[in-house]
Amino acid sequence: MPEESRVTATSAIEARHLSKHFGNVAALDDVSFSVAKGEFVALMGSSGSGKTTLMNLLTCLDTPTAGELWLDGVNAAGFDEEARRQFRARHIGLVFQQFHLIPYLNALENVMLAQHYHSVTDEASARRALEEVGLAHRVDHLPSELSGGEQQRVCIARALINEPPLLFADEPTGNLDAENEARVLEILQGLHSEGRTIVMVTHNPALGAYAQRVVRLQHGRIMQ
Amino acid sequence: MAASRQITRRLLWRALSVRNQRVWVVFFALMVSTAIVNALVSVYFDIDIKMSRELRTFGANFYLGPAHGHTLPEADFDRLVSAAPPGLVAAGSPYLYGTARSELENVALAGVRFSALPALVPYWQVEGAWIGVDFDDRNAMIGRTLASRLNLAVGDTLSLVKDGQKKALRIKGIVDAGDASDSLLFISLELAQDWLEKPGLMSHALFSMMNSAGNVEQFAAALRTGHADWAVRPIRKVSANEGNVLVKIQGLMGLVSIVILLLSTLCVNTSLTAIVSERQREFALQKALGAANRTIVRQVLLETLAISLAATVVGCLAGFVLAQVLGQTVFSASIGLRAWVLPITVALSLSAALGAAVLPLRRIMYIQPARVLKGE
Repeated sequence: MPEESRVTATSAIEARHLSKHFGNVAALDDVSFSVAKGEFVALMGSSGSGKTTLMNLLTCLDTPTAGELWLDGVNAAGFDEEARRQFRARHIGLVFQQFHLIPYLNALENVMLAQHYHSVTDEASARRALEEVGLAHRVDHLPSELSGGEQQRVCIARALINEPPLLFADEPTGNLDAENEARVLEILQGLHSEGRTIVMVTHNPALGAYAQRVVRLQHGRIMQ
Repeated sequence: MAASRQITRRLLWRALSVRNQRVWVVFFALMVSTAIVNALVSVYFDIDIKMSRELRTFGANFYLGPAHGHTLPEADFDRLVSAAPPGLVAAGSPYLYGTARSELENVALAGVRFSALPALVPYWQVEGAWIGVDFDDRNAMIGRTLASRLNLAVGDTLSLVKDGQKKALRIKGIVDAGDASDSLLFISLELAQDWLEKPGLMSHALFSMMNSAGNVEQFAAALRTGHADWAVRPIRKVSANEGNVLVKIQGLMGLVSIVILLLSTLCVNTSLTAIVSERQREFALQKALGAANRTIVRQVLLETLAISLAATVVGCLAGFVLAQVLGQTVFSASIGLRAWVLPITVALSLSAALGAAVLPLRRIMYIQPARVLKGE
């Protein structure tokens, strides 16, 4: 069986001897791990452990110095900027700690923006996505008119609108109160139960407990 | 597709409307520079005509005389006028000089076409009135010095005498020219030719010509090659000064336009750089969502073009008004609206705006979403 097919059949993500160096500093050093399709994995580690660097590689926002990175059956390690951009648009959904909504677009338009860069916009499906995260009544509101939890739910709707096979959440509840944290985690668990592959970066062990499996990083290496 | 265009329009409109302070700075910088450049370009193309008119108040600027001998056929005057490009000759008159006896003493006289004199010698101070008809052989104009010597006033009569003939001329105007004309008696050319017995002849001719872009010099050069019996030359004290002043003023206006365009380019560049800096996270997010560099650059270019076009339209209108103010203030005349001034102004202003956008747009291309979104 060819290598690519083998990877595609078993893993949503497979990192093999992945390294990232910034000058003489090894932010990631020979990291290997895999995430099965439909798995909910928490990526944990202290500050400076390499979480962010690994997340940037997994979301195709950066390129590794060495190693292979198989994402949804494709080796993304050798992608140039244009290939990484296209891959991000088609295969990756991003949820940020700071939401990163365009301040002058309303909730609906922020969701449609992801469609716009993916293919074509469809207002009806963007409305449905907002309904699914409980924001049907907030579609016309600007981010400044939404609470932190609502903004994060818009961010999740935007991440899901193109139905990407891989969903990455970077400290998704880092800026939320307990009530909104619970609501966002509920949404993520719901998505997992629908069979979606989720990788969540967090430094919070309580949050990590929501995941099926925890991958720990320390000094740029996988601990377990 | 329509929905995609709609989101592009929303991005464009919202991006402009929420940053109205910086957008207004860009708008005003471009509008003011467009207005000034439009006004200066309008005046630039009109100034040669306006200056020519101004400087022709100093008198004739072209001379035609005999290359050999003392006279030329009067018909040569008309041949020169026919040979001139349309609109070049504003006014002209043959001059025939001679001496005649009067009842009082001998006088130097000049035969002229009276109708051309106000345009040829506009600086004359005339007591009484100009003579308006070329063939008026009953009236004369007389220089101030000669009139004093003969003790003549406006309305008096001076009689020329010759071989028992007598020709009475009523003094209609006394001329104060400040040159040799003050000692001459001016009579109609026909009468002078008859009295001096030089029918169909002239001593020389003087012309007032529209001197734009050195065309009087070119016309003189063309005449010299085809007419060996003619002495033709621009009267340099007027024509040459006219050319020099024009070149200097036009150069100054070109320089001022360039400086203003550079200043507005700098101002727009600074504002666009600030806008790009403020919107770094927005562009980083767009890239993270899969937007290509070219898509974001096109979006910002569209925003810049929208502001620039609005500023250019308003600037062109304001520039036309400013040109009229300049024209009235400096030349006491309106500045003509020339169709080709608009594309020149629009091209210069849009070039300045696009030139100002180059560096900010390059900056967008180097935004790294991973770094910016993490707040580094």
